Amino acid sequence: MNPIDIPTFQPRLKVLSREQVLAIHTAALEILEKTGFRMEHPDALKMLADAGCRVSDDNWVRMPGHLAEQALKSAPRQIALHDQKGNKTMPLVDGNPFYGTGSDTTFTHDLETGQRRRTVLQDIANFAKLVDGLENISFAMSMSNPEDVPIENIYVYAFAEIVKNTNKPIVFISDSGKDIAKIHQIACAVVGGEEEFRRKPFILNYSEAISPLRFPENVMEKLIFCAQKSIPICFPSGSNAGGGAPITLAGAMALGIAENLVGLTVHQMFGKGSPFLFGPNVSTLDMKSTVVSYGCPEWALTQAALADMRDELYGLPIWAYSGASDAKVMDAQAGAEAMFSIITSMLSRCNLIHDNGYLEYGGISSLEMVTMVNELVAMSRFFVQGIPVNEETLALEAIHRVGSVPGSMFLTDDHTFDNFTQAQFIPKLLDRSRYDTWEEEGAQDFYKRCNVEAKRILAEHQVEPKSDEILQAIDKIVQGG
Amino acid sequence: MSEFQALSEAVLKGDIKTAVAETQAAMDAGANIQDILDTGLIATMDEVGDRFSKGIIFVPQMLRSAKTMQECMKLITPLFQKGGVTSKGKVLIGTVKGDLHDIGKNLVLMMMEGAGFTITDLGVDVTPEKFAQKTQEIEPDIVAMSALLSTTMPSMPLTIEALQNAGVRDKVKIMIGGAPVTDKYAQEIKADAYASDAGSAVTKAKSLMGIS
Ligand code: B12
Repeated sequence: MNPIDIPTFQPRLKVLSREQVLAIHTAALEILEKTGFRMEHPDALKMLADAGCRVSDDNWVRMPGHLAEQALKSAPRQIALHDQKGNKTMPLVDGNPFYGTGSDTTFTHDLETGQRRRTVLQDIANFAKLVDGLENISFAMSMSNPEDVPIENIYVYAFAEIVKNTNKPIVFISDSGKDIAKIHQIACAVVGGEEEFRRKPFILNYSEAISPLRFPENVMEKLIFCAQKSIPICFPSGSNAGGGAPITLAGAMALGIAENLVGLTVHQMFGKGSPFLFGPNVSTLDMKSTVVSYGCPEWALTQAALADMRDELYGLPIWAYSGASDAKVMDAQAGAEAMFSIITSMLSRCNLIHDNGYLEYGGISSLEMVTMVNELVAMSRFFVQGIPVNEETLALEAIHRVGSVPGSMFLTDDHTFDNFTQAQFIPKLLDRSRYDTWEEEGAQDFYKRCNVEAKRILAEHQVEPKSDEILQAIDKIVQGG
Repeated sequence: MSEFQALSEAVLKGDIKTAVAETQAAMDAGANIQDILDTGLIATMDEVGDRFSKGIIFVPQMLRSAKTMQECMKLITPLFQKGGVTSKGKVLIGTVKGDLHDIGKNLVLMMMEGAGFTITDLGVDVTPEKFAQKTQEIEPDIVAMSALLSTTMPSMPLTIEALQNAGVRDKVKIMIGGAPVTDKYAQEIKADAYASDAGSAVTKAKSLMGIS
């Protein structure tokens, strides 16, 4: 008779109790009802007033909590992001974490010289291509704010460049209702029309409200456009503890969530059922350097907390960050900080996890960092799979075979041969070679190995090309046709 | 140490109540207003700035000291006009057009205020024309611009141009800052100074004014 299967427990992090979840949510609603917010978009303002909000001078709005509760109910619990070939590669729902790069950095580390220099359009191409070639990096962002394209159209150029260099899903930035319309056109051109795009969206917009409690017109334009066109969007504000928000993490979360709920409410009013990725950015302002940190435990903790709030209450997939650092070069600090946020975001099952590959608190993008993150995500995934416990893995027969026959060893046993590829994590870049081998192979540190690997991928990886027709359509849209 | 030892200590600690009481006491005792300002308050804020840059104290402590100073200033400013007491200089500050980041700018503003400058804040998303118009109106010594986005950095040279067109470029010193801004960029656009954080903003502003 077969024994009953023992389900594998997959380690999962919890940082908030249900009482804490409810208290933070209640605080967020209280902020909206009592303190209110400034809404600078006339149509959104009118919608909110019509729905029962109190609007006073200066576009100041006080919103009853039930409007937010309603919006939480109508937003979809799953956002199915597709790749550009129409495959559902990123089902953003409950326990699924996906890792990707970040947006606009001013500088990058040149792969050849190692120097920190301004980013250019070619860097966007390189990052997109690298992402395309890395199995654990699921989506691409620009990673650059290129200095060699016309500034009025920077985000359109950036988007077109990503599309040309990867077929993975894309998270994009735009400035206002104008450039986002162009980006949407490009996306439709890639998949063959607006209807096809609606069914299989491969892009997600990243727009931000202004902490504390301010909703500028251009930001709302983007939100409304996305709601109407069913373009998935996330809407985190900069409610960083001590900067845009109170220094204490509970208050910073409550404020950030309140701001997110305003976004969600307006979003659902303009496009009921349109996809909205939940969650603020709650990092912390370093009180020595006045830098908003990208390597701190606070941010890892608040997004783990948000994952708990998703599980207990909101049910909507969430936005998160990881694989970033405040270090100025990819050194031990960078590795430590990157891993801290990667493993915690995975353990708490954050969903869409961006900014992987950032250095200098978001100032520098690094191809080597992204390459490193790919490996660290693999390592973390192995951990999170847990330990399957069953007849095969308990290996009593193998133990008996080896234990009872003197001179025999596990290394030569069939059980090892049959199981080692699944039972073991096999690193690609983390070095476990013996000292002499390591020395003979050039005594390369991890940074150097990531550098070599990034160069190799850029040289060898083939991105499945888009048709000339699509490429021409893209260029026409970028040029303003 | 100075006759304002107790005041000085209260400002260092950020003890608003004691500092205000000490200021009042000094005034009642007939101390020179300029002395209270220079020796009691500004010199102490210099010390605060110094402790901050050495990592002995943190931003909230520094800002609390600045606030303490502001409260003391409220008592003595009404007497300034009569006695003709001078501030370190007048600063016009704002975040440039298209840019809505303001936390860094506000920090710079508070630090400069703490160091004895008089500040006019134009807020965020400030057009070149607005900078120019306000410069004509209040005749500041320094025009300070903040930009956190590389896409809004070009608003800085445009603002300088607007100041030029308004005929006031040569009457002010221009100081710029914000995460993507660099010293090199400041030189390229012919600004007079760049600073990477609020502490060095004060040092740079002082040297622009020819004070150490
Ligand atoms: C908080 C934040 C926000 C908040 C701002 C809230 C607010 N009220 O200010 C919100 C969420 C609104 C926001 C929005 C956006 N942001 Co933002 N934001 C940040 C973040 C995380 C921290 C900035 C901050 O407040 N730092 C703390 C303060 C104290 O430091 P600071 O600003 O650098 O200021 C210090 C110095 O620079 C200097 N200084 C500053 N000004 C001045 C002026 C003078 C005269 C001098 C001498 C010195 C000086 O002294 C200050 C004090 O020490 C940075 C990343 C980072 N870690 O820096 C991104 C960052 C600046 N944002 C960025 C982007 C792209 C955006 C958005 C376009 C994102 C989007 N998808 O919409 C929008 C743009 C909105 C707009 N039109 O302005 C990018 C900019 C990239 C680039 N090269 O252009 C950054 C670098 C993040 C990134 N890597 O992608 N953001």
